[in-house]
Amino acid sequence: MEKVLEVKNLRIYYELPQGIVRAVDGVDFEVYKGEILGIAGESGSGKSTLALAVAGLLRPPAKVVSGEVLFMGTNLLSLTEEELRRIRGKRISMIFQDPSTYLNPVYTSGFQVAEVYEAHRGGSWRRYVGDVVKLFRMVKIADPERRVNAYPHQMSGGMKQRVLISMAIAEKPELIIADEPTSALDVTIQAEIVELLNEIRKETGSAIIFITHDLALLLEIADRIMIMYAGKIAEIGRAEEIAKDPLHPYTKALLSSLQYERKKRLQAIPGSIPSLISPPPGCRFHPRCPLAFDICSKKDPQLYRVGGRVVSCFLYGGDHGGSA
Amino acid sequence: MSLARYVGIRVAQAIPTLVGAMLVMFVLVRILPGDPARLIAGPEALEQDVQRIREQLGLNKPLYLQFVDYMSSILRGDFGTSIKYRTPVIDEIMARLPYTITLALAAEAIAVAIALPLGIYSAIKPRSKASYIASVLSLVGASTPIFWIGLIFIYVFAVSLRILPSSGADTPRHIILPAVTLALLLMGNLTRITRAAVMEALGSNHVLTAISKGLGSRVILVRHVLRNAMIPIITIMGIQVGALLGGAVITETVFAWPGIGSLLIDSLFYRDYPLAQGIILFIVFVFIVINIITDILYAYIDPRVREVLWRAGRS
Repeated sequence: MEKVLEVKNLRIYYELPQGIVRAVDGVDFEVYKGEILGIAGESGSGKSTLALAVAGLLRPPAKVVSGEVLFMGTNLLSLTEEELRRIRGKRISMIFQDPSTYLNPVYTSGFQVAEVYEAHRGGSWRRYVGDVVKLFRMVKIADPERRVNAYPHQMSGGMKQRVLISMAIAEKPELIIADEPTSALDVTIQAEIVELLNEIRKETGSAIIFITHDLALLLEIADRIMIMYAGKIAEIGRAEEIAKDPLHPYTKALLSSLQYERKKRLQAIPGSIPSLISPPPGCRFHPRCPLAFDICSKKDPQLYRVGGRVVSCFLYGGDHGGSA
Repeated sequence: MSLARYVGIRVAQAIPTLVGAMLVMFVLVRILPGDPARLIAGPEALEQDVQRIREQLGLNKPLYLQFVDYMSSILRGDFGTSIKYRTPVIDEIMARLPYTITLALAAEAIAVAIALPLGIYSAIKPRSKASYIASVLSLVGASTPIFWIGLIFIYVFAVSLRILPSSGADTPRHIILPAVTLALLLMGNLTRITRAAVMEALGSNHVLTAISKGLGSRVILVRHVLRNAMIPIITIMGIQVGALLGGAVITETVFAWPGIGSLLIDSLFYRDYPLAQGIILFIVFVFIVINIITDILYAYIDPRVREVLWRAGRS
């Protein structure tokens, strides 16, 4: 399988007056052509920072401290601003969380989508109105000829998200990063948007990184899932494997919190996500882990291979390895 | 819904404002101690002469009747006759208006030419030298009394260096000192508001979308930052021009600039009721007009405002 993206040992820190926030702290993963990689984690797990870094949209005080982001073999972190600009929107595109604030209220939706073509093909945006109508039809916006002239405030949330999606697929990019694309929408609209992304993937062959805190959603749509905890990877595996046989204790806890049964208490994970300014020593999950043993508070687990899967837990590797 | 209709509605809505403002100033002018009849008659006049002048001017009638008389003459297009100059009030205002307009536009032009670039630049580069200059300028502009700046300017440029005239409006060079003084006052606010508005627009999410589309940084700045930042900037510019067109009272007085502001001061000192009333009425009118213009500009910039305006106009 062709690798679209390869992230190696990526560390992104926020340098704040209160201290250094280790938002992403040594992350390695790949994305293959045409697949949907789901990234799941709680708020503050570093998943959105990771998304912005891959899209080349990090802004101060966020800073890449180490690592490489190889897109089709080129390290994005070593490119100039102009080289990045040519990739953004054309080869890597982004879909954001809250459609109502990610569109500019003072321009028509059609203009804002046409700007993508203007940026990469040149000429006036007016030349591309026809293409935008086609895109709108593709993302199932009703009455596209009229909607290109509508302003964001004249559209519903779901429709605005479709406009943002049409922007992201305009140039059929190799990689689309969707950061919580459905969190701000109604549940029924959520399902439609997810379905739409799936169709687009099949049609354009784009790989999609789908970021969400909604693990149940990922189990349905993702090919592979990466679980993040406190700036690190907990485990990566195929969606079926994660669902049936989770390896990491955190993944297990997440799954059991999903299995809701009547008259049974909701299985919450005790404790809360640690401070990323002074994370706990050793494995960052150990204070909340029911299976922690002595090594967990002393050493940081590496990513251990278990079959075709990757997991960061001493139960599966290291000197004091357990069952694996 | 046409623009003309919208403006017509806005003007109609302004009538109660105008009447209210007239009532307030009518009473206020008369609360001032001092009697115009006695001022005209002179200190040695007989009481019966003063009384005669009072009757001529209609000042012996009860206040509410005076107000009714004043209103009805305004409706007939007659703004009264100046007590001091014995000419129609409207002529006096029209004679001074070109000076005030020139000074106002010159000062605002200087302020905008410096404050907008400075504010924009310091928003983009908040740690630059320009940003510190902008902060200092805002602070100085906002906290220094204008008559003091004016007097310092006169001392430095007119008295010590003798390179610029200090008062009057005889040559084009006469406008330099009052315009720069006023501009300094305006710049502080304008820079601060511009900086804040641009910073806010820069931080908004749709700018992130614009970057992720692959737009160049200049296109992003002009289309997605500055256009969105324009509303607060236009508001403050409208207020400033409105205030200046009503006569920059202190500056015009310090530099003996023959505009509306110094005329107002003059008329108040002389208890020239019709003239003072006429000028204040004019100032209120200017503010209303400027407000309508800024609202139309908002609508031009922001489609959401446009919709609300049109809807309000239709009902």
